[in-house]
Amino acid sequence: MDAPMIDVRHVSRHYLRGGDDVHALDDVSLSIPAGKFVALMGPSGSGKSTLLNLISGIDRPSSGEVIVSGQALPDLSEDELARWRARHVGLIFQFFNLIPVLSALENVALPLLLTDLGKAERRERAETALRVVGLEDRLDHFPATMSGGEQQRVAIARAIVTDPDLIVADEPTGDLDAKNAEAILDLLRTLKKGFGKTVVMVTHDPRALRFVDDAHHLDKGLLLDDDAAERASAALHASMGPGPRTTEVEP
Amino acid sequence: MSYTRLVVANLLRNKLRTAFTAGAITLAVVLVCLLLTMPAALDRLLESAASDVRISVHHKAGLVYSMPESFARKVRAVDGVEAAAGMVWYGGAFEESGKVTFPNFAVEAEHIEAVYPDYPIKPEELADFVKYRDGALVGRQVMDKYDWKVGERVSLTSTIWPANLDFRIVGVVEDPQAPLFWFNRKYLDQALESQFGQGLGIMGTIWVRASDPSMVGSIMQTIDDMSRNSEAETASETEKSYFANFFGSLQGFIRIILLVTGLVTLCIIFIAANTASMNVRERSGEIAVLKAIGFARRSIFGALFGEVVLISSLAGLLGLLLSIGLTTSLRNFAGNDGLGPMSGFILTGPVVVQGLFLSLFIGMLAGVVPSIGAARKPVAVALREIF
Repeated sequence: MDAPMIDVRHVSRHYLRGGDDVHALDDVSLSIPAGKFVALMGPSGSGKSTLLNLISGIDRPSSGEVIVSGQALPDLSEDELARWRARHVGLIFQFFNLIPVLSALENVALPLLLTDLGKAERRERAETALRVVGLEDRLDHFPATMSGGEQQRVAIARAIVTDPDLIVADEPTGDLDAKNAEAILDLLRTLKKGFGKTVVMVTHDPRALRFVDDAHHLDKGLLLDDDAAERASAALHASMGPGPRTTEVEP
Repeated sequence: MSYTRLVVANLLRNKLRTAFTAGAITLAVVLVCLLLTMPAALDRLLESAASDVRISVHHKAGLVYSMPESFARKVRAVDGVEAAAGMVWYGGAFEESGKVTFPNFAVEAEHIEAVYPDYPIKPEELADFVKYRDGALVGRQVMDKYDWKVGERVSLTSTIWPANLDFRIVGVVEDPQAPLFWFNRKYLDQALESQFGQGLGIMGTIWVRASDPSMVGSIMQTIDDMSRNSEAETASETEKSYFANFFGSLQGFIRIILLVTGLVTLCIIFIAANTASMNVRERSGEIAVLKAIGFARRSIFGALFGEVVLISSLAGLLGLLLSIGLTTSLRNFAGNDGLGPMSGFILTGPVVVQGLFLSLFIGMLAGVVPSIGAARKPVAVALREIF
């Protein structure tokens, strides 16, 4: 059997906040094969973003092992982790987090500054990434002149421009209306299908279940078993009503 | 897209703030450069004005005390003395205000050429100076200030002697740094004698020219020994030392100004550091994202530190250009209006280098703490703070 792309073994993450010992994750184990689109779901404070940070090498576990593409992440120093992230991980955030003073093309080209590529090649790759997300005609636009959906597409282009093995997305549809949210989820699925990327996404959005290969549910720092996960999923659907919400409006 | 583009784009993010910060640094560089030129200007003035073979002989008690007229003859007889010319302060005021606006002396006209062979005076004008008892040799600064011409007659009202004299300008000392007015002491001597039956009889300062620089020390010693235990003991000093003492109080003033400038510079460092900290704080989210996508601590530090150093360097260059413009203007102004030492303001190579280093120093000191702070913060902590 092939080694999983992501192998999380008995991971706990505790930290102090305001004098309290917060147990963000408790003895979580999880395997994600390569080329899968996986959702991490759960209510606020369940530990899903913490798990995503551990998988993407942004944070370190208090105990346990996180192995991604055969690399044990806790063994790496802060700078080694930064270099590893630059090579292997594409990150997408809820609020896009683009640099407002740079154009779409420049934002996308930003991670390529960490590579040995020349200026022309950096530009070519950034243009290609923007073409993949359907923004080839918005290269010189600045974030302030783009809609939320377009900004998130730029952020996705930035995440894929270095051709990473793993794409992690933290609530990528959280700040988008229904139409744009579906478009972004479809784009992430395309990255998996068309480009063979492994995509791990944190989301509250039940629509995501229609796009992902697998979903893992967390609650209070624990990974739920299948039965509990099913109950949690049903509860989530019930809380969202009978169908996808359509009340949001384009910002 | 390049690091430079990233740094420049961030600098232009808040143009007004960047302009104010750059303005503060520019001002500091201008201030420091102008003040650093002052000691150098004085040194240059001393170098240009002072000969290595000229000696000033005056009363030991100070310049306002006098020596007997006959002492000049004794000085001329000292071994190694090529020439000596005695002078007396006339204290003549030209304008109606009654203020003395340029130094004027009654001098031994026949000895001037021998004591000041290095002064740019035409031979025929020197000859006229000796020939005409009421003749006056006037420095270029004074000539230009009052728009006088050679051949013109001018009157001075003495604030010292009961003798107001009319002079005929017979020549010009073409030295832009010499605001002088010399006339023949015999003219004053006769005027006093005709009114009071007694001439000058004294010397204020005797300027001596040694035949060789190596003789200067022994000549000064001999002259001071000659006057020992007399009513007018002398203190001889080199011309450079004489002018240095003359400007001594100004140098003390300069030291105080330099101290104040240092404090102002320190304030500007704090202002720039505060601005850099504000920039980092406002962009903490972006910095966290840069770290998350793989920018290592060194890259983050370089980008932030580069911003502050770039702005301070550009501001420093602007400050230097302004300083060059200001010193040039000041020199031109001083040349026309007899500002004396100020005409020596020149932004020399060392001052330019010091100005550039100052701007870099301000940038580095202001940028290092916030940049290190932003670079060192763990990415997870930085992200947790913004999400």
